[in-house]
Amino acid sequence: MRKLFAATLGVLSAVGGFVDIGDLVAASQAGALFGMAHTWVLLIGVVGICAYAEMAGRIAAVSGRAVFDLVRERLGPRVALLNLVATWLVTVVTLAAELGGVALALQLATRLSHLFWVPLAALAVWLVLWRLRFELMERIFGLAGLSLLVFAVALVALPTDWPELGQGVWQVSTAGHGWPLYWFVAVALFASTVSPYEVFFFSSGGVEERWSAADLARARSNVLIGFPVGGFLALSLIAVATVAYHPSEASLSTLDEVARPVATALGGAGLAAAVLAFFAVTFGAALETGLSAAYAAAQYFGWQWGKRVRPREAARFHSVLLVGLLLGVVMLMTTVDPVRLTEYMLVLSAVVLPLTYLPILVVANDRGYLGDRVNGRWMNLLGAVFLLLIVAASVAAIPLAIMTGMGR
Amino acid sequence: MRVQLARRLLDRQIVDVDGLLVGRVDDIAFAVDDEGFPYVDCLLTGQGALGARIGGRTGRLLVAVADRFTDDPPMPPLRVPLSQVARVDSAVRLRCRAADLPPSPVEAWLRRHLIERIPGSGRASG
Repeated sequence: MRKLFAATLGVLSAVGGFVDIGDLVAASQAGALFGMAHTWVLLIGVVGICAYAEMAGRIAAVSGRAVFDLVRERLGPRVALLNLVATWLVTVVTLAAELGGVALALQLATRLSHLFWVPLAALAVWLVLWRLRFELMERIFGLAGLSLLVFAVALVALPTDWPELGQGVWQVSTAGHGWPLYWFVAVALFASTVSPYEVFFFSSGGVEERWSAADLARARSNVLIGFPVGGFLALSLIAVATVAYHPSEASLSTLDEVARPVATALGGAGLAAAVLAFFAVTFGAALETGLSAAYAAAQYFGWQWGKRVRPREAARFHSVLLVGLLLGVVMLMTTVDPVRLTEYMLVLSAVVLPLTYLPILVVANDRGYLGDRVNGRWMNLLGAVFLLLIVAASVAAIPLAIMTGMGR
Repeated sequence: MRVQLARRLLDRQIVDVDGLLVGRVDDIAFAVDDEGFPYVDCLLTGQGALGARIGGRTGRLLVAVADRFTDDPPMPPLRVPLSQVARVDSAVRLRCRAADLPPSPVEAWLRRHLIERIPGSGRASG
């Protein structure tokens, strides 16, 4: 019974941990502009991230090493350094966007400007990373993130035309906005679903929690159940935006507008749940991105890293973590709109996606690290097809961003 | 043979006897014995050694950043005698403890000037 409880808890935190500021923004904008016409992107993204998270988890459990720990051995110090710089920068921009999301959620709750909340949010993120146990940290924010289910509930309360919603999934059309914008939104939504830091964090987290081959089944089920349910939450974001905004052609540019249909449908309690969900998912993702950036640097240079050792014994790791957080605060203090920052972050993430996913596929086929636990033929086929999509998204991201003027 | 050596050793993670991470094999130092045969003397780890190996502007930048966070630059690389290596698998495993080796100057600098000044730095959060 206790085991079952622990397993459920693991799955539930994966669900909450799946969604972040990128999903909130990209899914809602997709729904408002194109209705349900991007559902297939979300589906493909979820299948892909499940496959790659499984590989990353297997590598961590069997070899006891995080994926990016192995990148330098495989690619050599120069290419790996380039990879590190690109990954680190994008992860720090993501961290800034998540912090901005936390601040916007607090602004929704208190009506105080988000700029007031940014430094406090960063301080709170740092305190949690400095003091809270790894597993506890994952669970608290994962579980609180489940309040995002309020969007699915709102869908029932809103005057939803279900058959029309269902038809929208199959009728892929540009709704009069043109194909460049359609594909731009598709790339952004894809990038938000397969954000690089997610696999990164997952594999380093596995090493922190000292997975062995025996924990592999549990880790695998957490992801294989948790991420698809997380994908369902993102889908409900698309659906709510479709019902509330799609017919009127209004475009979404604030978190306030994302939450408004929930408030209309369910009143104050619904709004409170939505704000709590925004806070929890962005705060949880800020923790993950903050750690991920520091993991990347420490693993490249071979420094001691992780929350299991005393901070004074991982001084370089904790210093890099602090630098990342401070940079995030500085970025937000330029008064850039966090939603806008999220849009830029998604384009950048799309560009660097292959840097994250290619090494995973390479290492997952390396018998030197995995013995006979290397990828099977079907896994490699799935991985290779998905990698092609990732490369396509990466190549298309910048041209589409320019053609559509960042989606405006 | 030399190529094999580079593949087996270079860029591997160095792990001490308790599983703590010491650094990466950033370079390898050779020595020549009495009869004139070269042999592997030490594994070198540290940003200085890495910067010198990468070379060019990028390498110099790495060295400069490391020297900025050291009390008396230039920072020498940490030398791990080959006699301390117990075995090499997915990592280079030492037979001694990290504490028995000289500490990394950058780690020591950051510990003294930044991390140790923050309350709670002596307690792992787990």
